[in-house]
Amino acid sequence: MIEIKNVTKKYGSKKAVDNVSFTVNDGDIFAFIGHNGAGKTTLIKSMVGIHDFDSGDVLIDGISIKDNPVECKRLMAYVPDNPETYEHMKAIDYINFICDMYDVDIKTREKNIKKYAKLFEMEDKLNDTIDSYSHGMKQKIVLISALAHDPKYLIMDEPFVGLDPKAVFDMKEVLNEMVKENKVVFYSTHILDVAEKLCSRVAIIKEGKLIKSGSMKEIKGDKSLEKVFMDLEDVK
Amino acid sequence: MKKLYSLIRACMTSDMNIFKVNQKHATGFKKIFIPVFLSLAFMFAIWSNAHLIFEKVAPMHLQYIVLSLFVFITSIMTLIEGVYKSGPLLFNCKDDQLLLSLPIKRSTIVFVRVFKFYIFELLFNSLFIIPLIAAYLRWAESIEWTFFLTSFVMIILLPIIPIVISCIIGVIISSLASRFKFKNFIQIVSTMLVLLLVLLISYYMDNFYEYVAKHATSINDMISKIYYPAGVYANLVTNFNIKDLLVFIAINIGLFALLIFVLSKVYFKINSRLKSIATTKKVKISSIVIKSKPASMSLIKKELNMFFKIPVFIINAGFGLVLFLIMSIYTSIKYDSVLSIYKEAFQTNTLNQTSLIILLLLLFASFMTSITNSLISLEGRNINILKSLPVKTKTILMAKIYACLIITTPILLLGDIILFVRLKIKLIEMILLLLLSVLVPLVSHFIGLIINLKFPKLDAENSTEVVKQSTSSFISVMLGMLLLLGNIMLIIKMIKVLSISLILLILTGAYIIIDLCLYLYLSYKSVEDFNSLSV
Repeated sequence: MIEIKNVTKKYGSKKAVDNVSFTVNDGDIFAFIGHNGAGKTTLIKSMVGIHDFDSGDVLIDGISIKDNPVECKRLMAYVPDNPETYEHMKAIDYINFICDMYDVDIKTREKNIKKYAKLFEMEDKLNDTIDSYSHGMKQKIVLISALAHDPKYLIMDEPFVGLDPKAVFDMKEVLNEMVKENKVVFYSTHILDVAEKLCSRVAIIKEGKLIKSGSMKEIKGDKSLEKVFMDLEDVK
Repeated sequence: MKKLYSLIRACMTSDMNIFKVNQKHATGFKKIFIPVFLSLAFMFAIWSNAHLIFEKVAPMHLQYIVLSLFVFITSIMTLIEGVYKSGPLLFNCKDDQLLLSLPIKRSTIVFVRVFKFYIFELLFNSLFIIPLIAAYLRWAESIEWTFFLTSFVMIILLPIIPIVISCIIGVIISSLASRFKFKNFIQIVSTMLVLLLVLLISYYMDNFYEYVAKHATSINDMISKIYYPAGVYANLVTNFNIKDLLVFIAINIGLFALLIFVLSKVYFKINSRLKSIATTKKVKISSIVIKSKPASMSLIKKELNMFFKIPVFIINAGFGLVLFLIMSIYTSIKYDSVLSIYKEAFQTNTLNQTSLIILLLLLFASFMTSITNSLISLEGRNINILKSLPVKTKTILMAKIYACLIITTPILLLGDIILFVRLKIKLIEMILLLLLSVLVPLVSHFIGLIINLKFPKLDAENSTEVVKQSTSSFISVMLGMLLLLGNIMLIIKMIKVLSISLILLILTGAYIIIDLCLYLYLSYKSVEDFNSLSV
């Protein structure tokens, strides 16, 4: 379970995230939506231990990211909005590097690298350096390296950007598979129709404040998620 | 013109933000204090040295020669700096695609690239020329308004000729490298060769000076024959005439325009060739060997990988080490001539000099080779990868230190061994020198990393800006010079009263303590600095 408790993050005097609280339960696929600059990436970076935050706490399986960041990070995988990798490395070396950081044993990493490389059609390209890849291929490498260590919590910032339709389809299958194993998927997105079909829960953030959070059914009722989002955006 | 101004302003904004301090609530004063203080300290050192030289030449009424001398030395230094930088600064910039997609002339893009290079060299030159002019005002017999005009023009135009030469060298090296599969390797080797060639030519300039002196009609004529701008400056200061000044301005502007014209013809061809990345043959996943390593080993491997993949980084760090090896070999072969230079410098005849020479070489190599001062900045946005990993920050930082030790230690030990084999040294001194070969560079590595965490530049256009033009690298280089000078002055004091074995022992003890203090600082304060980094 991920518990976000009264998290506030300021940039100077501006509150990028303002006293946000919500819970993500085991087995959830959680969509985190909001307009550009609403504070999604800031909150995600705070959750995964990239940013310090000014007040509040984030608990991963009851462990505070502030007090024990290494233990929390061991349970998570983070996929950034831009496929950030060490571009001068070969893809296989990069994936191995990430696996080393998570102490993944050889058997598990072999199994997972093969599985996900095949799924994302990258099997015969792993020996190339990442700087020779397209944006989408880089994104696939980031996803493979995130999935290779079997994370309990997969936290992603705009994960579908740049992926080809087949990769998006396959990724959705992977996420459903994870949920069946009672794992947690938390991701930010602007593709509301995918979120509507895929996610069990949703939170909407606006100008740093959480304006709605709950199960997909509760939030959207009979409307589409897009309509709900647009209505909330109009509320000042 | 408005377009060009906007373009220059956009391109320079991030570069000019060089005073960024990694402190959450740093005030404007705090942000600029260290770089400005170090710049002023450096300018003060130049001003003091200029005074000493003026004092010696003033009785002969030859003050203008000092102006020429400084112009010449500054230009040589700009040229050497430029050879490192020009290729990587001109080509393969992050904003290439953006600029090429805009409705602007290609020559405008080339102009902006070269202009950026010019601005940084102008700042570099000013550190030398402004204190020189200040010192000249004190020693000049008479000062006309034309002196200020000439000096102003000289400051503005002085970087142009070295930039033109280094850009040509940079273009040739990049063009050569772009034709090969192993572009980085070719770029590293050719740049190293050019730098060694420049040093070799400077070393063998004595014969040329003699030849010029014999054939010159006057001192001014002699200086002009050695380096044209230096001669023009001396001429204009002693005997101002507007025609010479205009010719000088025209030559510089002409050369700059010619460079832009020629460069815009070849720039995009080379750039696109450099960007083409070779892909390997398709390899089946079953044939790839998947290995596992402990996290710290994997982090060290990642650091080494980065070091060997960035040409300007390896040239910058490796050149000092290559020089150390060359100097070690030279000292072991021509020991007597090196010894006489040291004896003269230290004004002593009685003591065993061999270990002292090795110690000085070691100090030079250690403090002039700062690798870590750009290791954080080179991460760029990838800093987020490191920050999201389940690894302690101290492990990440220490991996960078270990990687640097892996690079420097074997070379320094090899240099030591070459000297030990050829020269007679006591066993205890050998052991202490070997220890210092690890301890002294370790101080340099710690300081570089601590400084880079205080002054990160995570949004650089390319690696050259980080390695050669960042606040962190500037402070580290200045601090390295100060530490080197401090060590030398301390040794000069100690050698008069203590044996070399005892000096080595004291230094070993002192460096162990300094390393421990820096380790503790890195473990606590620098960890905080790292955690507060944000992109």
